[in-house]
Amino acid sequence: MQDARLRLLTVIILSVASFLSVAGAVAAFFWWMIFTPGIRTITKSPFALFFLGFTGSVSALLWFSGGDGISYLVRMAVILLLAFYAYSGRAPGEFLDLSVWLFGRKLGFDIGLAAEMSLQGMDILSDEIRRIRVAFQLKSIKFGFRSIIPAAGLLIHSQFARAEEQADLLAVRGYRGGGMVCPGFTRAKGDLSAFLSAILPLILAIMPVGDIFILLQ
Amino acid sequence: MELEFMDIQVERDCFLIQGSGIFTPGIHLVSGRVGSGKTTLAMIAAGLGMPDRGVVRRQGIGSVMLSMQFPEQHLTGSTLESEIASWRLDPDPVLALAGLSGRGKDDPFSLSRGELKRLHLACIFSRPFDLLILDEPFSALDCRGKMTTADQIGSIRAGITIIFTHENQHLPRVDYLWEIREGALVFLGSVPEALVGWKNKPAVLAELHKRGVYPKNLSTADILEAACRTHD
Repeated sequence: MQDARLRLLTVIILSVASFLSVAGAVAAFFWWMIFTPGIRTITKSPFALFFLGFTGSVSALLWFSGGDGISYLVRMAVILLLAFYAYSGRAPGEFLDLSVWLFGRKLGFDIGLAAEMSLQGMDILSDEIRRIRVAFQLKSIKFGFRSIIPAAGLLIHSQFARAEEQADLLAVRGYRGGGMVCPGFTRAKGDLSAFLSAILPLILAIMPVGDIFILLQ
Repeated sequence: MELEFMDIQVERDCFLIQGSGIFTPGIHLVSGRVGSGKTTLAMIAAGLGMPDRGVVRRQGIGSVMLSMQFPEQHLTGSTLESEIASWRLDPDPVLALAGLSGRGKDDPFSLSRGELKRLHLACIFSRPFDLLILDEPFSALDCRGKMTTADQIGSIRAGITIIFTHENQHLPRVDYLWEIREGALVFLGSVPEALVGWKNKPAVLAELHKRGVYPKNLSTADILEAACRTHD
């Protein structure tokens, strides 16, 4: 899906559908299977397996403590899959365009800029983690539980340092809030049909499945 | 003990680097312009990267170390002491070697990049390695730091040392010379004979070349000696 506006709206609709009911989540999963590159969206993100594993662990805990772990697992896993799809499908500058289109050149520009910088930070974070693993490897130190604290400290420090540099850079370039951007969006052939198909999971989530069959009769 | 590149090739979009050659014990200088693929080759030599084609063969090499260009990329400790300890070294002599005595409790990020580079190189030079790969060891250093580092590299006697650099002012005494030319790693031979065929040689060497004078090696002392040499 190329149009960032439709993609965002679709992801929001499907996330709401997944959150509301298991039926909505299952339908959203089928949408994900049909209209996205599927498993490739997960392999693009190094955090995907971590978050999916974490969700699985929380679900297991819920299940063991008598809660509805299965429902939580299905709904949250689909929401995560949609989030990874939204993350992998984005292009640099897209959030700035989208935000300015939605909220204008003052507030929209600021929100868009913050979003772009955060996303850039996530990419840098992946590189930093890779770099830290190499440093541990070169020193023949096993990268395990004991490495988490020093590694996290280094990551936080480097992110703060980068944020400070970026703030200085913006100030030097005269940034005082707001800015000029002319948002541009391209739309692919199947974008509209993919968006319209995303409404079905929402209907399934809002209306009980039995009611739908009554309506059909 | 040797490291061999057997017809290796790495291709990324418009970038291509390829080459073959054997690195034997001694100090090898691989010279190349910025963006010529030195870091890519350094990572491959260290076993941290794989070529798209070809094979890297290591024979008789036990310990391998890659010194990356940016010293902060090696940090794993939250104080200078813990950073040095992560290299399994005693902090005091290393701090002294880096000119940072008494600062063991400091945060590594409180140092300038030049100081951090000195500390990192002090850690590297305090341990012997069978294969030591130095990617831009002179970056972030001032002239004095570069000269000290060149001396320290020149005094390494054991194992294979490979220096990947675009530095052309302060260089150590080396045994073998390589050059990256238009995406290809070319072995020029032993120094000083190899200096004749060095295409992108430093300006001072090019000037000496015009006068028909060749230094015995690449250290500042060797170049000064050649520049002041009188013809019989």
